[in-house]
Amino acid sequence: MQAKTNALSQGFIRCHDCGYLVKTGNQSLSCPRCNSHLHARHPHSLQRTSALLFSSFLLYIPANIFPIMTVNQFGAGDPHTIAGGIVELIDSGMIPIGLLVLVASILVPSSKLIGIGLLLLCTHFRWQINARRWTVMYRIIAFVGRWSMLDIFMISILVDLVNFGEVQIIAGPAATAFAAVVILTMFAAENFDPRLLWDNQKNL
Amino acid sequence: MNSTNYDACPECDLLLKPAQLKIGEKAHCPRCGLLLSRPRKQSIERTFALSITGFILFFPSVLLPMMGITVLGDANTGTLLSGVIALFNENMWPVAIVVFLASIMFPLVHISLSLLISGHLYFKRSNRYLVTWMRWMYHLDEWIMLEVYMLGIIVACVKLMAIAPLKFGWGLYAFIALIIITTLLTSNLDNRLFWQRIEQLRKENNNAS
Ligand SMILES: [Zn+2]
Ligand SMILES: [Zn+2]
Repeated sequence: MQAKTNALSQGFIRCHDCGYLVKTGNQSLSCPRCNSHLHARHPHSLQRTSALLFSSFLLYIPANIFPIMTVNQFGAGDPHTIAGGIVELIDSGMIPIGLLVLVASILVPSSKLIGIGLLLLCTHFRWQINARRWTVMYRIIAFVGRWSMLDIFMISILVDLVNFGEVQIIAGPAATAFAAVVILTMFAAENFDPRLLWDNQKNL
Repeated sequence: MNSTNYDACPECDLLLKPAQLKIGEKAHCPRCGLLLSRPRKQSIERTFALSITGFILFFPSVLLPMMGITVLGDANTGTLLSGVIALFNENMWPVAIVVFLASIMFPLVHISLSLLISGHLYFKRSNRYLVTWMRWMYHLDEWIMLEVYMLGIIVACVKLMAIAPLKFGWGLYAFIALIIITTLLTSNLDNRLFWQRIEQLRKENNNAS
């Protein structure tokens, strides 16, 4: 056996669900250990990832321009966008928390959209890249995605607690769009198969 | 079929000979650097104990009040569940469902599954659903967002402190304990060992019958 060979080129498929390595060619398409369907690579990885990514791009626009929540005080409404909420935190001197929200609700989603886009371009055009570095990028993208839900959880707490006759916080339409962006990009990252990056490299 | 002699890296598909690791050692993929396995001491016993603790802690952290504020003499308290209900009442049901799943439903299912699986393995009981439970648990893992919710609580507190005095309740303390338990749980659960034991149990069961 060579020092570095792909399992697939030796006729092995790794079960996605349980990690069992199966020798292909014996016609069984389900894993002998856990019964799940076997695929050498995630099925339709590029198509699914790009469809999910495209939908999140579209939803990312309303998520940022519409108010994510409105503070009603004594009859007057004060709508906040995602960016507005961060500016307010920083203005009132809460700089670390403001930066935390900036990272979780703006930097993470936007760099995720760009990152998955790059991964797709890279596999589609078979760019010759440092596959290890790109796999690490994929890993970071897959890891940080869920932290963007911070804003949504915060809103659910605020809406619940600040509910008095004169003072009220109401969730805005951007909350739905933003939650959808987070979930769609998580699905997009899950559907992308990093092994495609390695398959395309001519000299490893 | 002697495919078990080999292993493949899940992220770069490198064909590997699995190393026999001792407790405390780690195996990384030589090509892409992914952490492949990290055997844990008494993984089954610890997972079982942590699952029981987590399952018990789950109910106070969902049902007891976490925080309360007072504005102009009116007091309001909130629980994990009441946040979801408040969003529902504002017709924000898609968001309400997402919050409910990520912070209540999925954590509950996950901890119940790990309780069931580790319990069966601990008492060496075979069950034909073990395999299905393992697969569900694996797929759920990413969608459990208790730590993210904790950050949400912190940011909400900072925003609320500007409006009114805050009070913390037992629900919050139970919730923090639950997060610690679930973190320990995921780090002690040795997936590879669990699958090996499940296969062993199945073989023993087949031989017996
Ligand atoms: Zn399997
Ligand atoms: Zn690898």
